[in-house]
Amino acid sequence: MNGVGGRKSEVGSEAAFRGDACVARGPGIAPNHEHRPVWKRIGGVDRDHAEIEEINPQSPVRRRHIEEDATVNDERSLTLVRGTRGMTRRRLLRRGAALGLGASALASLRGNRVFAVQEGEPVALTIWLEGEPGAVTAFSEIIDEYMQENPNVDVTLTFFGSDLFNPTLVPALNAGEGPDIWAGGTGPGQPAAIIEAGHALDLSPYFCALGWNEIIPEGIVNYTSSDGKLWAVGDSVESTVMFYNKEIFEQNGLGVPVTWDELMTACGTLQSAGFAMPIGLGGADKYPISWWQSLLWGRYAGPEGIDNVMFGDGRWDEEAFVQATAKLKELNDAGCFGPNALAEIQNNVEARFWRGEIPMVHTGPWIIGPGIDAVGEGINKFSAFQVPPPVAGTPIYPTEDIGTGWYVNAAYEHPDVAADLLDFVFFRDESRQKMLESGDNVPVGELDLENVELPVIVQEVFALSNEYRQNGTIHAFLDTVTPASMTDVSYDGLQAVLAGQMSPEDFTATVQSAWEAAKAENEHLLPGGVTCS
Amino acid sequence: MAVQPYSRSIESLRAAQRGRSGLSRSVLQRYLVAYLFILPVLLLYVVFVLRPTLQTFWLAFYDWNGISVDREWVGLANFQRLLADPIFWQALQHSLIWTVVVVAFNLAVGLAAAALLAGNIRGRLLFQLGYFLPVVQASIVTAMIWRWIYAPTGVLNTGLETLGLGFLTRGWLGDFTVVLPALAIASSWMTFGLSVVILLAGMQGIDPTLYDAARVDGAGAGRMFFDITIPSLRNTITIVILLALVDAFKVFDIIWATTEGGPIRTTEVLSTYLFKEGFQQNQYGYGSAIAVALSLIILVASILNLTLRERGDD
Repeated sequence: MNGVGGRKSEVGSEAAFRGDACVARGPGIAPNHEHRPVWKRIGGVDRDHAEIEEINPQSPVRRRHIEEDATVNDERSLTLVRGTRGMTRRRLLRRGAALGLGASALASLRGNRVFAVQEGEPVALTIWLEGEPGAVTAFSEIIDEYMQENPNVDVTLTFFGSDLFNPTLVPALNAGEGPDIWAGGTGPGQPAAIIEAGHALDLSPYFCALGWNEIIPEGIVNYTSSDGKLWAVGDSVESTVMFYNKEIFEQNGLGVPVTWDELMTACGTLQSAGFAMPIGLGGADKYPISWWQSLLWGRYAGPEGIDNVMFGDGRWDEEAFVQATAKLKELNDAGCFGPNALAEIQNNVEARFWRGEIPMVHTGPWIIGPGIDAVGEGINKFSAFQVPPPVAGTPIYPTEDIGTGWYVNAAYEHPDVAADLLDFVFFRDESRQKMLESGDNVPVGELDLENVELPVIVQEVFALSNEYRQNGTIHAFLDTVTPASMTDVSYDGLQAVLAGQMSPEDFTATVQSAWEAAKAENEHLLPGGVTCS
Repeated sequence: MAVQPYSRSIESLRAAQRGRSGLSRSVLQRYLVAYLFILPVLLLYVVFVLRPTLQTFWLAFYDWNGISVDREWVGLANFQRLLADPIFWQALQHSLIWTVVVVAFNLAVGLAAAALLAGNIRGRLLFQLGYFLPVVQASIVTAMIWRWIYAPTGVLNTGLETLGLGFLTRGWLGDFTVVLPALAIASSWMTFGLSVVILLAGMQGIDPTLYDAARVDGAGAGRMFFDITIPSLRNTITIVILLALVDAFKVFDIIWATTEGGPIRTTEVLSTYLFKEGFQQNQYGYGSAIAVALSLIILVASILNLTLRERGDD
């Protein structure tokens, strides 16, 4: 099993410590220009024996002790600072493994920051992130720390509203004025087009040489690579669960639903208790309905069923998807989403959830941060559960997807600095801890939760995902990994289904039709994966 | 200082129009200076308005994802697709409905508000400020306000229930039958302050002796409004209509921030469709074709409006 549904044991597993040979295969960002075979082994080099000099004359990373190296970006090379002379990263890893320290030990070693950009000539680096201007996230703080450690590197962080991001990024890249690093989507469509146009730097050399391959789970690599090259570093793992108000449940004599029938019963009981919207759904925003679609389609078809459509000859109008869509409509028709979910805005829904006006909401852990802001200590009144299997006896597949991918501009004159910054932000122990504690992001790869102070609800959400991960995972956001044209018809179609203006059969047929058109144009995900020899 | 006779001044202008041979050196210099003053703005206009506009027209003949180096010349294919695209026609229909609502609201409510303010009521400045505030407010802020107003548990529904009109409550943004006009009214609220100011300025320019004479003749307030105010505001009304029309056709932010064209495309207008096709679907060629169509529609509507006014003048 491979690909989406086959992504097993990622967070909290052995995947983060795979050893030297990394052969990651599965779906990836698809360049439009050619179709590639589903399985493809990408050749690599023996980095134990490779030793190449820094070729990029403009790199500020000049005083480098070359210990190991890797394949290069076109003519670029990579050189590294080694804090522990005479010990290569590989040896460090081997020693760590031998001592049985596992991935946590690796994280600790990384925490000592063995790779550091030394003082040198001034380097300017611009980063564009999706988010509201002025947003303060863990990233801002981590990047500030990076600049303190590397005073010669001046990082400018700019946030763009998500709707403005692509319309700004594309012309800027075309004009040669784009950011040096940007965080964007990793699905097919625009990211693939950007890669195809040569704007993104191949990060594979850094992936292998800096040991990212030891940390980034295979499933994440698959979605940020194509043609054997890593194009982006996935910044976080996102999953969706059902958050609920424990107090309201207790007051109404309800326990956590473990079967679909119990969920429906809870829905009815809460309605009778005066909660017009037992399960919050901001249908006006469209994407929250797509979260339900992702969940139910995945639950009905299973990881293999989804993979079969994404990378095989399966179809979105198969019976499993029709039934899953009918189940969503059933939930809506029973009034679980309130009298008119299409009139609801997701932000309002979540705010009302924290105010205790809505007992349940199916969303991701990113709402916890705002929740703590809203209710403070009252956060302990809330918890989460996995949505029960819609078909009795079927397994629970947790949802999981990448947040965004961080790309480096191929035209940036200091790629080593960009890679060093990515290394600092995503793979340094303290950075990962900061991300976790902020509640903004769950870093990719194995998590060392022992030294992190996390709210109980965050720990519960992690536990929920880990508990069922052995069953295989399904997409949390099908809309981000399917072609934009399919997302468009899905969004409108899902609204139409909830409104009773489109049958589940017609909806799945429409989606399949859009899917076929996109496939014909090579606008779908193709196999990804990166091999480090 | 001797005043130049009017007829001589006209004569000198005519001489200038006759051509280079008839131009005196001083007149030439005067024109040159005028053109020099215009030149910087003209250059900015060419670079930042004209060139991108022409480029958009040009892009409409290509199949391009907006990023890749290769663009494929497809001739009129994007326009052919446009004519056969049911979503385009649906969006156009919505744009027209939207325009009618916005123009009618701006004109009707704007005229009524301006007439009230022209009567020197108490707190006039406060009212003027209140009407104009949404005009200077960021449109996204206004959109957010209306999202709250129209929410199922929002101000509008709560207010209706308080007034005993609970039967009128609904999920405004999710109700296919009312969502388009509801958002159009919200959008009008953003623009009608400007209409009020323009109309008020127009009303203040009307000769008060006309009203005095009408009063002497026994005309009431209504008669004076329809027989003096409205005819005197003809040009002003044309400007108000023109501004509201252009604004209505290119509306984007309030729809995008509230419904993104939903539910089920019931609020899809040309500009949101253009955005989706261009920037979300990466079909810059087709998106440009929609932009061209939108520009042509606004151009035709504006010319029609001006022509009708000219005919009225005749």
